[in-house]
Amino acid sequence: MFEELSLHILDIAMNSLAAGARTIQITITEHARRDWLTLRLQDDGRGMDADTLRRVLADLTTTKHSRKKDIGLGLALLRQTAEMCDGKFHVRSKAGAGATVTASLKLSHVDCPPLGDLNATILALCAANPAVDVQLHYLSDKEQFHFSSKEPAEKKVASRPEQISSGEEKTNYEPGRAKKVKRKSTAAGCLA
Amino acid sequence: MNLEELKKLKEKAQRQVALREGSKKYRVVVSMGTSGIAAGAREVMKTMLDEIEKRGLEDVEVRVTGEVGLEDVEPVIRVEEASGEKTTYARLDAEKAKKIVAEHLEKGKKVDNLAVGKEKKPE
Repeated sequence: MFEELSLHILDIAMNSLAAGARTIQITITEHARRDWLTLRLQDDGRGMDADTLRRVLADLTTTKHSRKKDIGLGLALLRQTAEMCDGKFHVRSKAGAGATVTASLKLSHVDCPPLGDLNATILALCAANPAVDVQLHYLSDKEQFHFSSKEPAEKKVASRPEQISSGEEKTNYEPGRAKKVKRKSTAAGCLA
Repeated sequence: MNLEELKKLKEKAQRQVALREGSKKYRVVVSMGTSGIAAGAREVMKTMLDEIEKRGLEDVEVRVTGEVGLEDVEPVIRVEEASGEKTTYARLDAEKAKKIVAEHLEKGKKVDNLAVGKEKKPE
């Protein structure tokens, strides 16, 4: 079990590297008002077919047996953390079309781990493969931060950053972000 | 979450990228699979990067890899020399990582008591 969310991020992003991704987008949305924290990792690696995806998402014990090069306990651990915090976990992927991992957690949940040393995570990823563009988008109620290892120039964007477009789907940077992760526990999130 | 800290990250990442140019005498490979991360590989790596920078060692590059099959003795790093010699260090922490940088990467002396499996032969 990881004690920091940034360790989860590193772990999931390592899968992206193993999948030959050229761009890894890490989006962290901290929405204190709605009591949600959403992690989203999107890559353009080789993705997974439906079969592999099912196996990856199977419960903890079976993932280990069906382990392949780019499959491990990482996703299962993140799912466990998310579900433990009344959150949601979702992976979307198609063979040859990258993968998107989304996990949302209830910020105020007693088990919600701290974000932790995000810098160390990003540095490790940057060092892992210089050719890969590691992007970090951090958004909260008050502030935004965008980082890309390919062009380290800071982008202080007031509106939505449109330059990140490698994925098939646009990230919704607005407060309505929590919609993406609705399902069961939306009620809990909105009540807060 | 500290925005200031994140901003510092940028310069640091840039320096890391600059350090990667050219071939190096030493290549440090950190095992950064799930078990490695859980055991503290990220902290080991961060310490090494900091220490290498502090000592101004330019002939070293640090990379990461997935699981290396040494899950029970993580965190694990491998130091590869230009000569092809490889040394694996296991059960590391920040202090030990510093020692490896100071001894092996700076002075070229292996840290024998931290190294494991000298070209392991099946028992």
